[in-house]
Amino acid sequence: MIAPVPGPERRSEPSIPAEDRLFSLVLALLATEAGLLKSEILSTVRGYAERFDRSGANVNLDRQFERDKDQIRELGIPLETVESPDRPGDNQSLRYRIPKGQYDLPDEVRFTPDELTLLGLAAEVWREASLSEDSQRALTKLRALGIEPREPVIGYAPRLRVRDAAFEPLRQALDRRQSVRFDYFKPGERAPRERRVNPLAVVMHEGRWHLHAHDLAVDEPRTFLLSRIVGAVTPIAGSTFDAPPAGIQDRVIADLAELRMRNAADLAVTAGSDAEVRLGKRAVERDEDAGVIRLHYTDAAVFADELAAYGPEVRVLSPETLRVAVRERLRAVADAHREPEVSR
Amino acid sequence: MNANRRGGQRPPKAPRAQKAPDKLVFLLALVPYLLERQVVDVDEAAAHFGVSDEAIRDAVKLIATSGLPGATGTYQPNDLFDIDWDSFEDDDVIVIVHHVAIDDAPRLSAREAAALIAGLKYLTALPENANSASLASLMAKLTAGASATPTRIGVAETEADASLARIREAVAGGRQLEFDYRNALGIAGRRRVDPLRVLSQDADWYLQAYCHTREDVRNFRVDRMSALVVSEVPIDEHPDRVVPETLFQGSDSDLDVVVDVAPAALPLLADYLADSTVTEVDGHLRVTLRLAHVHGLKRLVAGLPGLVTVVAPPEARAAVAGWAEAGLAGYADAGSSVRDHEPTDPGDR
Repeated sequence: MIAPVPGPERRSEPSIPAEDRLFSLVLALLATEAGLLKSEILSTVRGYAERFDRSGANVNLDRQFERDKDQIRELGIPLETVESPDRPGDNQSLRYRIPKGQYDLPDEVRFTPDELTLLGLAAEVWREASLSEDSQRALTKLRALGIEPREPVIGYAPRLRVRDAAFEPLRQALDRRQSVRFDYFKPGERAPRERRVNPLAVVMHEGRWHLHAHDLAVDEPRTFLLSRIVGAVTPIAGSTFDAPPAGIQDRVIADLAELRMRNAADLAVTAGSDAEVRLGKRAVERDEDAGVIRLHYTDAAVFADELAAYGPEVRVLSPETLRVAVRERLRAVADAHREPEVSR
Repeated sequence: MNANRRGGQRPPKAPRAQKAPDKLVFLLALVPYLLERQVVDVDEAAAHFGVSDEAIRDAVKLIATSGLPGATGTYQPNDLFDIDWDSFEDDDVIVIVHHVAIDDAPRLSAREAAALIAGLKYLTALPENANSASLASLMAKLTAGASATPTRIGVAETEADASLARIREAVAGGRQLEFDYRNALGIAGRRRVDPLRVLSQDADWYLQAYCHTREDVRNFRVDRMSALVVSEVPIDEHPDRVVPETLFQGSDSDLDVVVDVAPAALPLLADYLADSTVTEVDGHLRVTLRLAHVHGLKRLVAGLPGLVTVVAPPEARAAVAGWAEAGLAGYADAGSSVRDHEPTDPGDR
């Protein structure tokens, strides 16, 4: 049987699928040492060449190439731009290439079947579209290695959620080292206030997402709860910053854990209640006879919300700030629900 | 339903239309896989990548006709991939006989590496992974395999409930469990269950199990269990039972409650929404929640103070009011003079 002759046939097709064009572009840029001029790419690479007009300005094709370049870079493929040494600053003489050494997964990055099983489970942790897409894409790339994972873990579904709308724009800002602004509703304040920050890390601590950022107004680092960011997170045009130290997220987590250890609350819990069972599991000290337990907490406002949910099952003995915070919350809920209809 | 049989499989996902970047990544991964394997059946490749046989065939056809524009810019045969077309078309076997430009797996992006690393961090909470050196080396490999510093996303290691290890052991070994359980209604009792699956949501852990007491599949919060015992008795087969994918399911006896919610807090109620109808009322969003009973509602609303207000029915409003009033009564000794006292906040946290 004779193999179909692909080239000319395919090129006569009216429209070439995007993945075909992107694949051809990556191949062409990987194969070149010196790099290709944009004019060379548009006039020869499949998916562009069919639409290339030798006498025209090719404006649409140009835009297509710009978008494709961004998409390829978003996938972690190191697409480089090289300036011509003779003509610096001349856009027409820029060359594009993908250095193979920076494209290939390094040789030492190889995985055992057990490790791949764990990575599969780690990917399943994410339920949210964007993080789940990223982790599934990573798994696809690693499947290139041809290693078969061991049988997946049975009866196990650990899941993390991201319910804060601010998460995705902040994640992008982290990647791009882009300063952002947002309104932040700090507990104890009457209204949200605008913050301008350089985002340094996003961490989950005690089931909540926190942003660690350099606050530009006070010129100091601050930690924000994503759940208290109100409205949109928007980039500040033209404002970027240097990369924070590697592993900063681990330091932020350690700092939050330390803060947690500094705060302790004494709580009276009703015997046989949900509060006694659930809060009791987190107690660091307990007086069984008095029905009093001691717990650490990170954030008084967050902990007060949690305690308010237990209603009469728990009563804060100390500290006073937490006691007041819980009482104010219960009062707000009672006021909002008292009959007849009262103003909120 | 037999947990060991079904639990091992990936949950069925709604088919997602693949976008061009996903398809590109698939092509870039498929080539080195095919080169590494040298000779591979279509169905084997499909199983490896978790896609249909047809998706593999389409991709192989595309790869086999792709390549480099070459010196002349005309994609000459020597500049193209080539496969053994006879084995492909007659035997459904893939053999790449000529390749260009790529032969190795691509690196991960900063975001991809970060998503897996953060997922692994979360798994560190699991009893069997505690202090695991292999997890640390795995995270280091992912960092080395990324084309840029992984996005700075961290997940704190949560202290897993001590009973989690024993529950996992019971699930893996197919053993019955017994424990004291106090449900949200406040009713306590001894339960005997066939554990089917351990599930978590952020910092909260749940066991999905067939409850012999209730004769149905139920979700149990791990932190509401006490006096847990792993029995020697094996679990029963439950072939007709479906273990639900989600933690919250409606039932006919459920209570529909209309609430007003601050727009920013709506995502926090996503698990409880009865339908997708949202109307705007005075800057609040009015939605209908579906809950098993008012006992769950009063805890939910009191835990989101100032963000959620029950509108109807009246008995639900009354239940929430009563719950908050009862809680407030515990602070009666302090009097009302402190009402204007603002809580002091140590910082932006």
